[in-house]
Amino acid sequence: MENNNGERLYVVSVYSENQVGLLSVIANVFTRRSLNIEMLTTLPSEFEGIHRFTIKTRTTRDKVESVVKHIEKKVDVIRAFWYVDDEYLAKEHAVIAEWIEQTRNKQLKNQ
Amino acid sequence: MSEQNNPDPDQMFSGAEILLKSLLAEGVDTIFGYPGGQIMPVYDKLYNYRDSLRHILVRHEQGAIHAAQGYARACGRPGVVTVTSGPGATNVITGVADAMIDSTPVVVIAGQVPTQLLGTDAFQETDVIGLTTPITKWCYQIRRAEDITWAVARAFHIASTGRPGPVVLDFTSDAQRGLAKFEHKKCTFIRSYTPKPRISDEAIEKAAQMIDAAKKPFLVYGQGIVLSGAEKELADFLTKSGIPAGSTLLGLSALPHGFPNYMGMVGMHGNIAPNVMTQECDLLIAVGMRFDDRVTGKVSTYASQAKKIHIDIDDSEIGKIIPVDLGVLGDAKEVLALLTQKISAGNREDWGLTATICNAVELHKVIEPETQPQEGHIHMGEVVKTVADVSDESAIIVTDVGQNQMLGARYSRFNTTRSMITSGGLGTMGFGIPAAIGAKIGRPDRPVCLFVGDGGFQMTIQELGTIMQEGTGVKMVLLNNNWLGNVRQWQELFWEGRYSCTRMLNPDYSTVAASYGIAYRLVAKREDLRAAVEEMLSDDRAFLLEVHVEEEGMVFPMIPPGKSVDEIMLNSEDWFDYGE
Repeated sequence: MENNNGERLYVVSVYSENQVGLLSVIANVFTRRSLNIEMLTTLPSEFEGIHRFTIKTRTTRDKVESVVKHIEKKVDVIRAFWYVDDEYLAKEHAVIAEWIEQTRNKQLKNQ
Repeated sequence: MSEQNNPDPDQMFSGAEILLKSLLAEGVDTIFGYPGGQIMPVYDKLYNYRDSLRHILVRHEQGAIHAAQGYARACGRPGVVTVTSGPGATNVITGVADAMIDSTPVVVIAGQVPTQLLGTDAFQETDVIGLTTPITKWCYQIRRAEDITWAVARAFHIASTGRPGPVVLDFTSDAQRGLAKFEHKKCTFIRSYTPKPRISDEAIEKAAQMIDAAKKPFLVYGQGIVLSGAEKELADFLTKSGIPAGSTLLGLSALPHGFPNYMGMVGMHGNIAPNVMTQECDLLIAVGMRFDDRVTGKVSTYASQAKKIHIDIDDSEIGKIIPVDLGVLGDAKEVLALLTQKISAGNREDWGLTATICNAVELHKVIEPETQPQEGHIHMGEVVKTVADVSDESAIIVTDVGQNQMLGARYSRFNTTRSMITSGGLGTMGFGIPAAIGAKIGRPDRPVCLFVGDGGFQMTIQELGTIMQEGTGVKMVLLNNNWLGNVRQWQELFWEGRYSCTRMLNPDYSTVAASYGIAYRLVAKREDLRAAVEEMLSDDRAFLLEVHVEEEGMVFPMIPPGKSVDEIMLNSEDWFDYGE
């Protein structure tokens, strides 16, 4: 849902090495562009030794593309992605739903 | 020393010594630095290594970082800096930011308070990682001696590969004293870092098609050519394709003066022909440049009539400022070699007389009045041209920032690469003297000539002490007009001549030079200029040539801010017009 400046809510998802200090490195890329971080979570990802950041920010498409490219430039960042909010929720939902289905089938097989 | 012939793998060394052995293993032979409390263990160990590691003691840490930059730009190897904690580290921040924006490989090792005191506002403690994160390719705090070899190897790999840049290592003094084994392993792979992207065959195909189809193509290149070592590949590409080319400020000297398709420098104070050709081409090929605003002028009209190809090693630059039709991600040397194979030979006759007309106007209306005036005070451009004439184009030209920089860039001539060292992206005044020192130390075989104004000269004047102590034979041409020249020019053109705080009262530089034991000569009259330049360049000693130049000198041509790159002022009244 775009506002008057052509801005909408984007989700930026970053996979990185598990290094001390990366949180502020990544947050700094947003601060430098005067982008407000509306939500930020960080957890270990599903891959061992790899950490994941999920950040929500309200901005334009051009800016979020540029932000993602600059985050990826940081040496300990593996990959960074951006999604439009609804898309992200739908993808995440589908992934979790599939995961639940797969684990339920495994449970059934084991009974 | 026997331990070198029979190294005991279990031998323990102090962290300070491990650092020095790691630097030697990385091929370092020169360090620029300034000691202090929290780096003393390193300096103490350095005493044992003084025959293999030359340490240049500067007079201010900013001098160390700019010297390391000049060194790296002149010889291509990373510049190395060692400073202490607190103010030592904060004093290099300007130079680190400068190295970041100009993609110069430097490794800074800053002392830090002991680990247990971190975050307590200890004496000379600052959050160096917090301060340098946004201005480095990588920064890391070494808190254990075991981590030193890994950190140093990684630092050099990151600083010097891909798009080069600065790395800062914050080295706690307890890690410097701690003991560990020394086992150097060069860093050749970091899984999350891809310095040289794989080149897409599809992109090369498409680029070659676009190039062959173009009637009036134009190429703009920048420092990426020098950083990639792609000078020959660029020359071969231009020779085969017949495409005319312009250079950014930092790309100067990648092509030798007199190269057939070379049209000159683009940008705010560049030559007329390449700026006009940018606005008349049907295809713009950009290689190893980043569309800095000094080059593009008004972005919405910059080459808006042309299709564009952007060749760069850094994906975040492609489409950052100027949207392009095709991005080719890759190392310039490799991309240009592939393209030269694919394209057809051409002669680009459709360009006709564009360059000839532009050059004639520029020569008559700008160059001759500036470099060959018949009367009045000496012009800055005149001095630069005299140095170019006398030095036979072989010198490394270093500049400070401002009018001296723009005229030094415009009127110097180059026949070898890596001959133009200047602070481009950050425009740091005071860069000149220390960068010239670093350049001369990096390339002692080449003459090094600095153009600097009275403003920039005084910003790092203390480095004359470094010249004195090291005997570095830099040739410094001080273009003294008693003004902060470039700001005064802008005040004259755009701020109704309200000269607010730009007039400078200068000291007697002859006594300054004498007190530092540096040879000196003053020139105020045109008839003395050539002989003075010849005297300056006649031997190897450091020399300060002060020239009293026209006080209200101006740099032209100029593309004023907000204008398109073909809206060019020839002087304070006239604009460029084909009809002239």
